[in-house]
Amino acid sequence: MSAAESSRVLPSIPASPSLIAGVLRLLAFIDELPAGATGALNFGEHGLILLEARKICWAVSPSMRLRLTDILRNQSTPPLPREAVEEIYRRAKESGAPFGEALVQGGLISEAGLRAALFKHNGEAIAHLASSGVGPVSFVSHLRTGYDPRFSFSACEALAMLGSLDDPARALAAQLELGNTLVQDSFGVAFARNELASGALVIAVDRHCDVPVQDLIEICNWTSGLFDVTHTFDPDATIARATWAGSLALVAWRAKGIGYVSLCTTRAAAARVVSRLENASRSSGVIAAAPRYREGGQ
Amino acid sequence: MSRGPGERSAADASPHDWVCAVASMTTGAVLDDLSRADERERLEGLAATLPELFATIDGHCLERLSQRMGGHGDAHAFSEILMFSENYLHLIQPLTRRPGQALLAVCSAASSIGLALSLMRERVAVLEGE
Repeated sequence: MSAAESSRVLPSIPASPSLIAGVLRLLAFIDELPAGATGALNFGEHGLILLEARKICWAVSPSMRLRLTDILRNQSTPPLPREAVEEIYRRAKESGAPFGEALVQGGLISEAGLRAALFKHNGEAIAHLASSGVGPVSFVSHLRTGYDPRFSFSACEALAMLGSLDDPARALAAQLELGNTLVQDSFGVAFARNELASGALVIAVDRHCDVPVQDLIEICNWTSGLFDVTHTFDPDATIARATWAGSLALVAWRAKGIGYVSLCTTRAAAARVVSRLENASRSSGVIAAAPRYREGGQ
Repeated sequence: MSRGPGERSAADASPHDWVCAVASMTTGAVLDDLSRADERERLEGLAATLPELFATIDGHCLERLSQRMGGHGDAHAFSEILMFSENYLHLIQPLTRRPGQALLAVCSAASSIGLALSLMRERVAVLEGE
């Protein structure tokens, strides 16, 4: 098995245009639920998704190949002993605590490791539910699901997880770029062009990205077009900033074939993102070494 | 005479190579008379992108994002677009009182963004009779 294959996030789910369209429909359905929607989205015999405040806490489909226990055991090298995992599972079942969180409390896995494992598990379940072609049959409201918000995921994160399948190394690099560039009061998305998605394929988002997935894709597609048309009169233009609704702004940039958008809730945040990008470009030689005078003229 | 890299003056910070014009957002044509060919050349390319930049974004999408992000004011269209490159700063500001038209400007990449935006807003105020 090659390194690329071994690092694939969801080895049992081949990404395809129909799968991406199905996942988009499913996630758009979640987006349209009320902001505080907490409960079970049922797909009949095909599975369910548990939501808390419209965030995905747990998803399951009987046709899944990977089980959370296996994913969790393989988070460590060497894999966690099956007996230790089973003991924690038994105790969690007795106390009613979520199994993964019990593993964290038991010191067998880190918070980041659990989040990554749940991300993988829920992503695979959503892909299976989407590929079943069956829509949700009911939504049953609960007071709460009992899941820790640290281990829940927005629809945008689920979309990015699926998009990362196409090239996991590229998705990881995009995630790092977002982490190095975003500032307070901003969140962001990375996308690539791909025939699978017939437009922008979302490959990474940061944890604060929680907007309707259709709108996220619309913004990515617009950004992609922006750089296409900009290329006709200034091929060196790599950063753009657009403002709307008073103080909101988006900052778009491209690097190494990946497009990025930072959505900023203040103009100051947008200015800081642009500044970071210019500094990074200058140090890499993309933008000439002459300093640009900052907003405000200082 | 060109200066060396360490010989920047404060004047370099101002958009001294500033050029601007009004253009149609629907046809992409420059509407102002620009006598100098180099000015026309710099702005025509930018003007030609206007229909693509402003007609391809769904206003409802911007409104929904605004609702999620706590925006206020006019949420269905971009009020300003800036593009940064190695050599130039490009600015676009739609004219609210002249629907379908926008003020465009291009200046040196080393210019002050704040000063360039101030100049844009001054020109918009004049154009819109404020």
